[in-house]
Amino acid sequence: MKKALALGTIVAAVAATAASAMTRASSSQPTASAAGFAACTSGQIGFLGPLTGAVAFLGKEQGNWAKYAVDSFNKANGTHFRIKNGDTQLNPKLALTVGTKFAADKSLLATIGPAGSQEVIAVGKLFKRRGMPAISSSATNVVLVDGRYPTFSRVVGNDSVQGFTDAMFMIQKLKAKKVVIIDDQEAYSTGLATRASAVLRSHGVNVQRESVNQKVTDFSSLVTKIGSDVNVVFLPWQVAANGQLFAQQMKEQGKNAKIFGSDGLDSGDFTITGAYVSSFARDIHGLPGTKSVIAGYNKKYGTKWSTFGPPAYVAAQVIATAYKAACSDGKASRAELLKNIRAVNIPSSILGLPIKFDKHGELKGAKFYVSVIQSNGKHKLVG
Amino acid sequence: MWTWDFFVQELVNGLTLGSVYALIALGYSMVYGILKLLNFAHGEVYMIGAFVGYGVLTVCGGAVSPMFPIYLLLPFMFLAAMIGAGVLGVVIERFAYRPLRAAPRIAPLISALGVSFFLQNSALLLFSADFRSYNTFELSGGELFVKGIHWGALNISLIRIIVIVTTVGLMALLTIFVNWTRLGKAMRATAYDREAAAMMGIDVDRVIVVAFFIGSALAGAAGVMVGLVFQRVYHFMGFTAGLKGFTAAVIGGIGSIPGAMLGGLVIGLAEAFATGYLSSTFYDLIVFGLLIAVLIVRPTGLLGKADIKKV
Repeated sequence: MKKALALGTIVAAVAATAASAMTRASSSQPTASAAGFAACTSGQIGFLGPLTGAVAFLGKEQGNWAKYAVDSFNKANGTHFRIKNGDTQLNPKLALTVGTKFAADKSLLATIGPAGSQEVIAVGKLFKRRGMPAISSSATNVVLVDGRYPTFSRVVGNDSVQGFTDAMFMIQKLKAKKVVIIDDQEAYSTGLATRASAVLRSHGVNVQRESVNQKVTDFSSLVTKIGSDVNVVFLPWQVAANGQLFAQQMKEQGKNAKIFGSDGLDSGDFTITGAYVSSFARDIHGLPGTKSVIAGYNKKYGTKWSTFGPPAYVAAQVIATAYKAACSDGKASRAELLKNIRAVNIPSSILGLPIKFDKHGELKGAKFYVSVIQSNGKHKLVG
Repeated sequence: MWTWDFFVQELVNGLTLGSVYALIALGYSMVYGILKLLNFAHGEVYMIGAFVGYGVLTVCGGAVSPMFPIYLLLPFMFLAAMIGAGVLGVVIERFAYRPLRAAPRIAPLISALGVSFFLQNSALLLFSADFRSYNTFELSGGELFVKGIHWGALNISLIRIIVIVTTVGLMALLTIFVNWTRLGKAMRATAYDREAAAMMGIDVDRVIVVAFFIGSALAGAAGVMVGLVFQRVYHFMGFTAGLKGFTAAVIGGIGSIPGAMLGGLVIGLAEAFATGYLSSTFYDLIVFGLLIAVLIVRPTGLLGKADIKKV
């Protein structure tokens, strides 16, 4: 009897404590309406990118261009949006950790990024559950818009286009008969390698597939496998510094095959003269409407930037436009923002393309460009 | 692929990598031989050595316009890294392991793990997560990579020759020290039986400090080698290298100095030949499979000796 009474008292105490905690928690959570007003007041836009780590150059450039876009938008429209940074180091686990914090912040209605396809895969389901719209300016894997991540959009083309473009360039311009394709075992790389490989093989090119982990620091054994009959080595890699080392070790071993890198190698960390790189955006210098934008950016952040930055500018521009429209009644929600993002129509952007999304979040009319690296380090558009 | 020049090229690749692993493995074996302690912070000592080498290179003008000629700059980098890493090893021993000598074996092991995390995160705080590059392809017009042995399809660059020769030299010096000096004899005695050595008048504390200094200095040298050949240094580079070095020490026979040298070379060659003749996807599988196979067939390692206890 005494035992039953004691047990009952304990159970009641635990239940009361739990109920009290839940009441306190729910009373401290803003209601959806309050969060909507708070969002329009705070004007936070998340940025998920590799601000440190192996590809910090990419994240910092994207972050700077995104901030520049938001500052320019605020100046032109009297808004007060601001960027909230989240460092992912191109690591899916970190992306999920930071993405979880962003998703839990109800006053944060949209995110620029993540940068890498593997990161989008990591946060995609979470963002879907929380209705968080995300626009990436560099994640190109095809599966990202197959319906699994309905809140995801991108302002660049996908790997199906890139793989085809790169493969056709190797066939038509480089006259490749034998190509070695080495993927870095990440989602972005394997998808692109598979697509390029299929196109090459369908045109009678001999393709040798190899694979190496992104974390490897020595490629010399792999380089030794590249025969003298290989015309092109295709590196669909994310870490440009790896590509640089690989190319240097090729030179060390006297291998003469041309190196062709995907957009991951389109960076200041990859400077091999005569190498080709594809990119999802062309150099915006000389495009209509970019002179003042470039001048303003260079004044604030310097002139050292590549083709990764301008798409982030456009992504930020899209979010800011959608956000402003959603906040016209003083409050906004993630669902409203996503609807506005998908409905965005920017007839002329700094990328030289109109910005309009299809129902899956894919940019309509996206292209890839091929350039060759010259001895002065500049990229010359060749395809 | 089945030509002699392909084989020799992969052999050189394997020896270069194996040299680095051997130097790291020596540190593990020396410390384990004397203290029966697995110094899990050893990989981070290697990482700090690499950063010291990078720091010296940067202070001396960087790879593009160094203040000194290569034949002075490289020895200076090695010396600075070895001394820096050696001193770090001594400090770690003094503050993280010595107070725990009488404690149960798990205590210094956990302390070693703690030191490892501490060093990794200190490097992250001080140097950020950005990768630094030795940029040695720019050093003296890239002659470290352009010069060397070039014979048909076989190309062995000067820097790899330097790495292999330096490793052989360091191992030879270590062997002479351990076998033919008083302090080396004291180290062997301490490794055999610490208590008896103390009773015979050997300053065991001093012997342990010397072992840590030498083992850490060799790891520092390995760090500079990696920077010179593979360019990159970053805060997390000690983790994988430390793991491979530990594997090499175990394969060779933990506690055995010749075993550590052999184990390092075996792992380096296994990685190179696995990549060359099979696939780079499998080289980790092969290396750790080799570890398991050696431990099953010969649990004490290739050159290790079983402890004989009188009952």
